[in-house]
Amino acid sequence: MDKSNQQLGATALKVVTYRTGRFLYFLLGMSFMLIIWHISSLSTDGELPGPIQTFSVFYDLVSHPFFDYGPNDKGIGNQLLSSLERVTKGFIIGSIIAIPLGLIMGSSTLGMNLLNPMVQVLRPVSPLAWFPIGLVAFQSAHTSTVFVIIITSLWPTLINTAFGVSTIPQDHKNVAKAFGFSTFKYITKVMLPYTLPHIITGLRLSVGIAWMVIVAAEMLSGGVGIGFFVWDSWNALSLEKVFSAILIIGLVGFVLDKSFKSLQTRYSYDS
Amino acid sequence: MIANPNILSEDKVKENILLRPVSIEIKDVTVSFPTPKGEYIAVKDINLEIRKGEIISLIGHSGCGKSTLMSTISGMVKPSKGEVIVNGKKVTGAGPDRGIVFQNYSLLPWLTVYQNIYEAVDSCIKNISADEKHSIVERHLEMVNLTPHKDKLPKQLSGGMKQRVAIARAFAINPSVLLLDEPFGALDALTKGSMHVELLKLWNLDNRNKTIIMVTHDIEEAIFLSDRIVVLNNGPAATVKEIEIVGLPRPRNKKDIVNLPEYKTIRERLLNLLVEKFSIEDEGVKFEE
Ligand SMILES: Nc1ncnc2c1ncn2[C@@H]1O[C@H](COP(=O)(O)OP(=O)(O)OP(=O)(O)O)[C@@H](O)[C@H]1O
Ligand SMILES: [Mg+2]
Repeated sequence: MDKSNQQLGATALKVVTYRTGRFLYFLLGMSFMLIIWHISSLSTDGELPGPIQTFSVFYDLVSHPFFDYGPNDKGIGNQLLSSLERVTKGFIIGSIIAIPLGLIMGSSTLGMNLLNPMVQVLRPVSPLAWFPIGLVAFQSAHTSTVFVIIITSLWPTLINTAFGVSTIPQDHKNVAKAFGFSTFKYITKVMLPYTLPHIITGLRLSVGIAWMVIVAAEMLSGGVGIGFFVWDSWNALSLEKVFSAILIIGLVGFVLDKSFKSLQTRYSYDS
Repeated sequence: MIANPNILSEDKVKENILLRPVSIEIKDVTVSFPTPKGEYIAVKDINLEIRKGEIISLIGHSGCGKSTLMSTISGMVKPSKGEVIVNGKKVTGAGPDRGIVFQNYSLLPWLTVYQNIYEAVDSCIKNISADEKHSIVERHLEMVNLTPHKDKLPKQLSGGMKQRVAIARAFAINPSVLLLDEPFGALDALTKGSMHVELLKLWNLDNRNKTIIMVTHDIEEAIFLSDRIVVLNNGPAATVKEIEIVGLPRPRNKKDIVNLPEYKTIRERLLNLLVEKFSIEDEGVKFEE
């Protein structure tokens, strides 16, 4: 009894020291970065804003995140929400297209032969190249930004889904065959559960890239959005705002990635 | 040696067997697999006629092609030559008239014990209500003593428990042919014994109308359960080496039959068929001493 308590204590201690250790490393890395930032700011005679100026601007921005004083004066929260809305729309539509296509591609040689060459050619193209096409097709900068995000979200999901389906073990297929599963049962009880972790991996990659691309796309589209905010702040020569935006973009991207990562661990299984 | 009047002579057994309708015909079956080094012939020119209600054991050394033959009967593997006929129909694919216990259990890892059985019942048995399906599942879970574990995932089960789920699943769809690939291999002696009884109960329940083919490495198990024991040669290109007829009367009692001289004879013969390879190795060991 005593011994097991001791052991428990020891493990708890290990976990605690591990966590504190990680936190100390984090602090160390951060201070290192801040120092370099501060030095580079000093060495440019303040032309590049340092951490202190930036954080005071950052604080101003996030303390009044929501206001709307016309097209060129909106709160950072409004900008962020409008970017998130576009990414969400584009990502959802892109995924709705990519997942079924991936399932078809992975499950049939015909599907693979038909789709794969197209995917291989289109995938390396920067999604921004589709922006003008979107403009012509939809006559709207906003829609065409969503369109760019749709294209962005296609490829990782499509490829991971197809890979997942094509690696379903023969054993699982044999079960479905031996017990006469209908196509519907095969898809819902074998194909999707097996492929789900792969699909989630694809979604995680897609949303990560989509969040990177939205910034660039909004610089092109203008109007509103965190990307537009970066560009607008640059035009207003407020590098403090640019830095603040970078920080916010990074944090949001981090949270997005973490949430998909937790989905990933939740839906992974081992046989 | 006094002849036991209950023990049937080989001719008599053969005669009795021939009274029943044919269940499975394996005609000139050769199975080969393409490999990078060319075609690998696993089993060659297998001929076997199995009557309705027979229990057949397949015995042979590891890798000789027992599972391959089972997959061919199940329709999962196509023979490169010859054909398999089950219940008068040529086998062209898997079907729920043949329940199979895979050697590696093959449970779906994302389904619970209960769901693994339920999904099989749901797709194989049409025309019954969901309630009836559930009660079939419950009954078979009870049979293999897994009711307390019904909500566990396969990864939370021991090897023997997984095997019992696979057995329950195959039995639950009530097939006319049961194909069991080392179904009791991972079980301890006690559980194995009770599973033997369950298997025979199930078989009796259906007026001994189910045909059962079972792969095993356990000679005692084969004698206790089977009407005939098919011994395969070593691969590649394994053929049927010998078919032993087990004339022991049913119902058999495990404790009693082991003392019968007929039991000992069959055991001896099977051991000779299977073990000659090892005795050579033993001599080698002795030589070194
Ligand atoms: N899909 C396949 N492709 C290539 N070769 C195969 C395939 N399946 C089986 N074989 C080969 O066929 C032979 C027989 O395999 P099988 O699994 O039928 O043996 P087994 O008698 O069931 O052995 P064990 O007692 O170890 O289960 C082996 O040599 C194996 O390598
Ligand atoms: Mg085998």
